[in-house]
Amino acid sequence: MSAALDETERAESIRMIRDSAAAVAPPGGDLKRVRSLRFQDPGFDPGLVRQMGEMGWIGLRVPEAQGGAGLGMGEMCALAEEMGAALVPEPLIPCALSAGLLAALGGAGPLAHLLAGEMVVLTAWQERADTLEVPGNPDAPRKFLPMAAGADMFLLPVREGGRIALYEQLAARADVTIERTQDGGNLGTLRPNPGDAKRLADDVGEALAQALDEAALVTGAYLLGGMERAFAMTLDYLRTRSQFGKIIGTFQALQHRAADLKMQIALTRASIEAAAATLDAGATGDARRAAVSRAKARAAEASMLVTRQCIQLHGGIGYTDDYDVGLYLRKAMVLANQYGSATLHRRRFMAVAPETEE
Amino acid sequence: MSAVTIPAPAELDSLDDEDFRLVVRRFLAENYPEELRNPPKRLHWSENQGWYFKLAEKGWLCPGWPKEHGGLGLSPTKQIILTEEYERHGVARTNDHGIVMLGPLVIKYGTEEQKQRFLPKILTGEHIWCQGYSEPNAGSDLAALRTEAVLDGDHYVVNGQKTWTTLATDANWIFLLVRTDKNAKKQEGISFLLVDMQTPGITVRPIINLEMHDEFCEVFFDNVRVPKENLVGQLNKGWDMAKALLGFERIFIGSPRQSAYALSRLKILAERMGVWEDLEFQDRYARLRLELEDLKALYGVYVSKLKRGESLGPDVSMLKIIQTELFQSITDTMLEVGGENAGLLEPMEGNRDLNIGGLYIQARPATIYGGSNEIQRNILSKNVLGLPG
Ligand SMILES: Cc1cc2nc3c(=O)[nH]c(=O)nc-3n(C[C@H](O)[C@H](O)[C@H](O)COP(=O)(O)OP(=O)(O)OC[C@H]3O[C@@H](n4cnc5c(N)ncnc54)[C@H](O)[C@@H]3O)c2cc1C
Repeated sequence: MSAALDETERAESIRMIRDSAAAVAPPGGDLKRVRSLRFQDPGFDPGLVRQMGEMGWIGLRVPEAQGGAGLGMGEMCALAEEMGAALVPEPLIPCALSAGLLAALGGAGPLAHLLAGEMVVLTAWQERADTLEVPGNPDAPRKFLPMAAGADMFLLPVREGGRIALYEQLAARADVTIERTQDGGNLGTLRPNPGDAKRLADDVGEALAQALDEAALVTGAYLLGGMERAFAMTLDYLRTRSQFGKIIGTFQALQHRAADLKMQIALTRASIEAAAATLDAGATGDARRAAVSRAKARAAEASMLVTRQCIQLHGGIGYTDDYDVGLYLRKAMVLANQYGSATLHRRRFMAVAPETEE
Repeated sequence: MSAVTIPAPAELDSLDDEDFRLVVRRFLAENYPEELRNPPKRLHWSENQGWYFKLAEKGWLCPGWPKEHGGLGLSPTKQIILTEEYERHGVARTNDHGIVMLGPLVIKYGTEEQKQRFLPKILTGEHIWCQGYSEPNAGSDLAALRTEAVLDGDHYVVNGQKTWTTLATDANWIFLLVRTDKNAKKQEGISFLLVDMQTPGITVRPIINLEMHDEFCEVFFDNVRVPKENLVGQLNKGWDMAKALLGFERIFIGSPRQSAYALSRLKILAERMGVWEDLEFQDRYARLRLELEDLKALYGVYVSKLKRGESLGPDVSMLKIIQTELFQSITDTMLEVGGENAGLLEPMEGNRDLNIGGLYIQARPATIYGGSNEIQRNILSKNVLGLPG
């Protein structure tokens, strides 16, 4: 599969994915659609999820034999970056996580519907904030389910002895409460009803760990796309706004600030791309965890810093809801800690990364 | 606690500091409306006027004003204690532009007639003020302002636009910087004008801010006639007063209030998230706490100067920078510690004391308003350090 591609083929494949992203996030497009979906239920357009399914995005990582596109993390991260630049709210990342999980089980349950974008399937793995662990207590409420207001089905990992079994539960019959998020989307809490759940698999422990790692990295890529776009808007502003009879971009204090932000963005890109390449080269276990944690820690922190500074560099207008740069700050507030905060990932990195030789 | 009795306002300043603290606690316990504790957003006049009137009725409205003008004339230490106790109790900000900005300005530069006319009405809550300085093209470069006032008989006729005017929809008076001489150097043709917002020709349009709150506004002036006697100070000498007022604003923004509140939230959050005992967290918290303690000490230095009747130099910019950046670091830490809760729109777990995202967003503009921190650093390097350029 993907790992077999040589460097030029890989670059071409990534370019094609970026081009195809234009179908959903046209270059130079505005954020009208994104704004119109904010703070509404379900917070995204199910029709667009279907379109994403048709374009093969939800199953981008799923092997072709199981109905996916069989592409690598390089492609998935490039796609997420384009989505992040346009603040696309559709739950591509959580759906891809569920698809990865079901594919690892040999195509169980609703995989086909999920890949087609006909069903939004969310994996309800999380029992507390800021964790990547899956305790899997059968009755514990599962929290922070992204865009749960539009979910059709939940996958429920449940610990049984030393293993984690997987169940599916239809959203229509589930007990879910919804809280709105700063970006205009929502997070759900699911109170599982084991009696009403259908068993899909006996042990998904390792598959889930891998799917969560991939989701963390892809979220980092989405944040990268967002910070790049917010930064570009800010550079435009620095080039046009004038005060004291001068373009504000001529003030050295602001030039240096912009240069500092550029460095953070460059480090984030390098880290994300390196991690994607590591995963595409087949890294597993601690090597995979270290690469992902490094990238997500950087992306989380840089995205918060960059979006904050973008507001600052705009002055008053940056603090209005009408002006788009604030939407990137709000998105970073929601995604920076999803699939692990910077602190969590730094700790995990230190726990799993081999020490470099002197 | 009920052992302490609350003395008359004029006697508060002579209390021993620790007794004063107990008096403030009792005062708040008895008078502050429970439902207004720790509001997630800045309150509008319709929500906080009860508290304003209560303070007015008790004579507690203006802690920093001299007693002869109806203030409490509190010592710097007591003003800090008051701030601390207000924060501890979760007291909301009132519509305080008259109290912290216009009042002190009128006390310093107003005529006797203006003092008689305007100060009592701040004290009773009859006049609620807003600040009309910034314009679309005059933000950091405030002296580039273009809203003009032309003398016509006994009135100035005002035309132009102000923007980012905080709580203008709540205010019935606005203090304006206006251009009164288009030919002079830009700082030398500016005057300071007090305008009744009921005057025909004024339109206020709220702007939704990043908190999704209609807090600041655009204010348009179309041939607005303002009586001549509403000019404060001398014609075309408004810039110096405006700068003095910015000094009051900077010391107000530099007060430890916002940071102290945010730090108390960070502690609650850390406990809730189970990281309070964590050594790495303790170190981060200690850094922020020490920053706050030192900020309080520095704040005390400036408040003492004011109390001695000295005017504040450009170095007060330090206070503004330190406070606002501390406020931001604390809320940044909250965002990092809060996990997925940080992205919620409403307070976490239905606990209205803990709106991580709301506080994070609220902290953003603190480095922009009152003169951006870049401008404050320019002032420090040029006017305090005397660096060339
Ligand atoms: C929440 C909020 C409330 C406010 N309330 C009021 C109010 O009640 N009344 C009122 O009159 N105004 C109010 N303001 C306006 C505020 O004073 C201005 O926003 C501020 O002065 C900055 O001006 P600006 O927005 O035009 O930004 P600009 O001046 O355009 O600044 C844009 C960026 O350029 C930087 N910059 C500008 N010049 C320089 C320089 N020489 N060197 C280095 N950097 C520079 C700024 O620091 C900023 O980062 C409020 C603003 C906010 C955000």
